[in-house]
Amino acid sequence: MASLKAIRRRISSAKSTQQITRALKLVSAARLRRAQEALTNSLPYSDALARVADSLLTSEGISVGPVENAQKRSMLVVVASDRGLAGGYNSYLLRAAEATRREIRAAGLEVELFAVGKKAVDHFKRSGVPVALSRVDNLPRLATIALARDIAARMLADYSSGAVDEAGIVYTHFQSALTQKPLYQRLLPVKPPGDAGAPDGASVAAATSKSQAPQIEAPQIDYLVEPSRAELVPVVLRGYLEAAVYHALLEAEASEQGARMTAMDSATNNAGDMISSLTLEMNRARQAQITRELMDIVGGAEALR
Amino acid sequence: MAGTFSFTLVTPTGVVAEGQAEEVSAIGPLGEFGVLPDHINFITSLVPGVLEARLPDGVAMHWVVSGGLAEVKDGVMTVLASSAESPDSIDANTAAAQVQQADEIFSNLSFYDPEYAPAQEALMLARARVEAAALKPAPR
Repeated sequence: MASLKAIRRRISSAKSTQQITRALKLVSAARLRRAQEALTNSLPYSDALARVADSLLTSEGISVGPVENAQKRSMLVVVASDRGLAGGYNSYLLRAAEATRREIRAAGLEVELFAVGKKAVDHFKRSGVPVALSRVDNLPRLATIALARDIAARMLADYSSGAVDEAGIVYTHFQSALTQKPLYQRLLPVKPPGDAGAPDGASVAAATSKSQAPQIEAPQIDYLVEPSRAELVPVVLRGYLEAAVYHALLEAEASEQGARMTAMDSATNNAGDMISSLTLEMNRARQAQITRELMDIVGGAEALR
Repeated sequence: MAGTFSFTLVTPTGVVAEGQAEEVSAIGPLGEFGVLPDHINFITSLVPGVLEARLPDGVAMHWVVSGGLAEVKDGVMTVLASSAESPDSIDANTAAAQVQQADEIFSNLSFYDPEYAPAQEALMLARARVEAAALKPAPR
C-alpha cells in the first residue's frame, strides 16, 4: 500500500486538475452560448440572401467559371480548431477530412488543401500531406466574418480563374452540445437552386436556408436589376459563398465549444471519482498506520513486563 | 403620399433594423438611389456608403454599409449588407486618418493592379465613415 503522504499528494493534484477542468468547462459553456447565439443571428441574413439568390439565379444559367481547361483540381477547406482539450473533436474531423480527400482523389481530382486552425495545420504537417494554404488566426473566436470573406474570396478566385474546378469545405455540423458530426459540403460549382433533383444542388441552399424547399416552383418575379444581371450575379454568388462559409465556421465554433464542454465535464467527473477512491485508500492507509502504532505500543508494554 | 413600407437591414451578425420607413436611400454602383412606397420590384448591389432610412416620425437613421445587396419585392425592402455600422460607433478623427491612409494606397495603384478594386472599396468605406461621423448629432 502506498504511503499516506504519497496518497495525499495525489489527491491534491487531482483536486487542482479538477479545478482547471471545471473552469474550462464553464468557459466553454459561455462560449458555446455565444456561438449558438451568433448562429441564430446569422439565419435571417442567409435566409434573405437565399431568397434573393433564388429569384436571381434561377433565371440565369450560372455563368461564373469554370472553364473547359479546368485543371481537374478540387479545393478542400478543412476547418479544425486552434486548441485541443476538446475530446475527439479534432480527430473525428480530421479523419472525416482524410476520407473526403480519398474520395475526391478516387473521383480523379487532385486535392488542394486549405487548412484552417492550428490542429488541421499540425495534422497535415505530421502526416506529410502538402497543404496549399493555411490559416491560423489564434483568436478566441474562430468564426469571424473576415475569415469567412477570405476563404470565400480565395475559393472564388481560384474557381473563376480555372485553377480548381470545384471547392468544398469540411467542418463539424453542430447538432447539440453532446452530438456533433463532421460534414463535407461542396460549395462550388453552385447548382441553380431550382435544380432540386441534383445531388449537390440543395447543399448550398440547405446551408443557407432550411425553408427553401416549398418555394421552388414559385413563379419568377420580374425585377428591375441594376447595374445588370450579368454584373449582379457574381456579387450575389460571392455573398452566397461568404454566407455559406460563415455558417460553416459558426457551426464549427459551436461544435468545438460543445465538444470541449462535454470533454471537460467528464474530466471533472473523472477527477471527482478519482478523488473519492483515493480518499478511501487514504483513510484505509491511515487506519492501518494507527493500528500498527498501537500494536507497537502494546508489544512494547508486553515486553517490559 | 405619406405612405410607409417595411424595411429590414440585415447583416451576417444579425438583424440591424426592422420596421416601417418613409424613404430609404442608399448608394449603388450607378449612384445614389431612393426607395419610396410602391417601388417597382428591384435588385441592386450596393457599394460602400451611407444608408439612410427616414422613419415615419421624421427621424432619419444612418448606417455605414460596406457593400451588399438591396432588394425591393412587393413593397418590402430588404438590405443585405456585409456590415453595418451606426455613426455613434465611429470616431471622426480615426475615420479621417483612415481616409488619408486609404487614399495613399489607392492613388499609388494603377487601374490594372489586382489590388485596385479592393483599395477603391476601402477608400469609399473610409469616406463614408467620415460622412457618417459628421452626421452624428442625429438630425431630426
